[in-house]
Amino acid sequence: MARRSGALLLGVALIAASVAWAEENDDLDRIPVPDPSADTDDRPVTTGWRIYVEQALTLPRFRDGLVVPPPRQRHPDWQERLSLDARRTWSLDPQLKATYSGRLNLLAEDDGPFPERANFRHDFREGFLSWEPAAQDYLDLGRINLRSGVAIGFSPTDFFKTRAVVDRVSNDPSVLRENRLGTVMLRGLSVGESGAVTFAFAPSLAEPSPVYSGSLPSLDPMFDRTNADHRFLLKVNRDLIGDLSPELLLYRDGSRTRFGANVTHELGAGVIAYAEWAGGNRASLVEEADRYGRKTGTIPAAAPRILPGDRSERFFSDVSVGGSYTTDFKVMINLEYHYHGAGLSRQDWRNWIDIGGANAGAPAVTSQLWYLRSYALEQQEPLTRHTAFLSAEWSDAFVPGLKLAGLTSINLYDGSRLVQVTADYFWSDLWTFGVLAAASSGGSRSERGSSPQAHGVIFKAARYF
Amino acid sequence: MSEATKTDRRRFLLLAAGAAAWGIGDARAQSAEEIIAATDRVRNPGEPFRSTTTLIEYRSGKARSKTVLTVYVKEDKATGQFRNVVRYVDPPRDAGKLVLRTGNIMWFYDPSSKASVRVSAQQRLLGQAAIGDVIAVNLAKDYSGKLVGEGEIQDVERKPRTCWHLDLTAANDGATYSRIEYWVEKETSFPIRARFYADSGRLLKVAYYGKYQSLLGGMRPTETVIIDSVDSALVTTVGFADLRFQEIPETWFQREFLPRIGAE
Repeated sequence: MARRSGALLLGVALIAASVAWAEENDDLDRIPVPDPSADTDDRPVTTGWRIYVEQALTLPRFRDGLVVPPPRQRHPDWQERLSLDARRTWSLDPQLKATYSGRLNLLAEDDGPFPERANFRHDFREGFLSWEPAAQDYLDLGRINLRSGVAIGFSPTDFFKTRAVVDRVSNDPSVLRENRLGTVMLRGLSVGESGAVTFAFAPSLAEPSPVYSGSLPSLDPMFDRTNADHRFLLKVNRDLIGDLSPELLLYRDGSRTRFGANVTHELGAGVIAYAEWAGGNRASLVEEADRYGRKTGTIPAAAPRILPGDRSERFFSDVSVGGSYTTDFKVMINLEYHYHGAGLSRQDWRNWIDIGGANAGAPAVTSQLWYLRSYALEQQEPLTRHTAFLSAEWSDAFVPGLKLAGLTSINLYDGSRLVQVTADYFWSDLWTFGVLAAASSGGSRSERGSSPQAHGVIFKAARYF
Repeated sequence: MSEATKTDRRRFLLLAAGAAAWGIGDARAQSAEEIIAATDRVRNPGEPFRSTTTLIEYRSGKARSKTVLTVYVKEDKATGQFRNVVRYVDPPRDAGKLVLRTGNIMWFYDPSSKASVRVSAQQRLLGQAAIGDVIAVNLAKDYSGKLVGEGEIQDVERKPRTCWHLDLTAANDGATYSRIEYWVEKETSFPIRARFYADSGRLLKVAYYGKYQSLLGGMRPTETVIIDSVDSALVTTVGFADLRFQEIPETWFQREFLPRIGAE
């Protein structure tokens, strides 16, 4: 009996061993013969520039019969943008570097004038000198894109984001950040072994300008967007507790002070959690937009205030909490909740749509209401208080080299949403082709359903050098 | 039958075969921790160093895309774990992007958006390669190991190698995989083969370590072949070249410093 059991065990072992051996051979059979051409780099030696040319054809579609009619604007059937995007850092000396980053655009749209000065635009994103006066200490002077924060969709501690975006070619916040203007500032950084301290002072160089409508100026650094007030930032990163890697911020804009903090934490199994908070005294979004409109002359000084609400300044908080998860199948998902304390409450929104609807034939009223939304968009603030944000990115989706990405931003009051889907195909290491489709949906009295643009498609091609 | 069940059955058969055919009695002479630590020393020298890492993705045997990285590595003497800065060199659309790993924290920096985003080691890099596959890690710090057998396997050149067979389980959140089966040559402590598993128990990929060369004071693998177990057409090679010792300032491992790390 014992002999029979032993033979059985040996048989099982031999079968198992042969299965394992077959699997091993199968693995080894899949190893490709090295491709010598893959190791041959026939590209020119790198010049230090990061350059690409991108063309984007936009086909927007607009809604008719909105409850609150927006100010009359041209609604082109198509828009074309051809851009040369360049970035480079030069080492002038071991302790001195210079950086330039910008984009030259050629713009056209149907029935629009061409060629004219307005068809050309240079976006001067960055241009600054970096000096290392002592080991681990750095001073930068010039136009600098200073980004803070850890959230993807809404970053309350990213204080220098206001009015910085010049091209809303996507609703993806990370894409918007790629073409935002820096701020002229003096920035200092001291890096230690367990943290870093950053300070920045951005002087006022221009008078505040009205919220932009229509095309942007051609060859203008637009300091009125980035340097209309004295601004100061102090930021401290310290490795304090576990892996939280907290960042603490103190920000002063004109006469107002704001505080901020952000933390991240890995929960394990590919899940990262993060949170951001910023708070300080300010007026509500409704009041701030109204004040700014009157200050810059967009809203006549004698015009009556359209929306009721608290005019006082008090402590408001902004919060973004969320997490990212990477699946086994190369999909990365981010889910966030955004709270914007100064944003429109449910009642504020009802007022907006009710007053606008009742005065649909009164442009003096509706233009003020739409000004509020334009102001919020330029400030990169959510319009209402509670928003959910979901994004996902799938690399090598269905076919190798195809990246699918999608995002949605949902107004938690009315359920209306903005949805965007992009597909980018990396044809080669140098060529990328893509298509982006975005749509806003919701009832006619909802935030998204009351937007002029119903949907749009962008076809893109990019060549890297 | 679910994939996890299939994998469990395969694992059982392998372990049974290992135990029956080769026995595990004399394998206890050297502990799993000692074996893992020895193989860590083979893969990574103790001094700060840099390497040029080239990933080539093969699909159905044809090279499809290539990514070139410069990897800077320095051991944290306090924890024994390696800290890494990874800079993308090629393709041009990714050039200048950076990954920082210090402790269990990993940041991804994109110079286009100026954003530092916290990522996990599971984040994909190219093909089936994750960031965790190209950075230097001390497996002995991230995993707890168990010796499950010993025996002869084929290396990437189909040469027979007598190996320890270890089963590694993630010991902290910084570990890229929840479980690794690891084969280490008994005589040399060279890593020969590894199998990487997801939390679900699913086999994700198989890696073979090869092209051993005398570098930085020891014999070290200069190529890892990663065979995808999910997509049967996909193989990624990770080549390590231009390895040299280099002093790396401590400041490089602060995320605020990332925008200042440029091409040399």
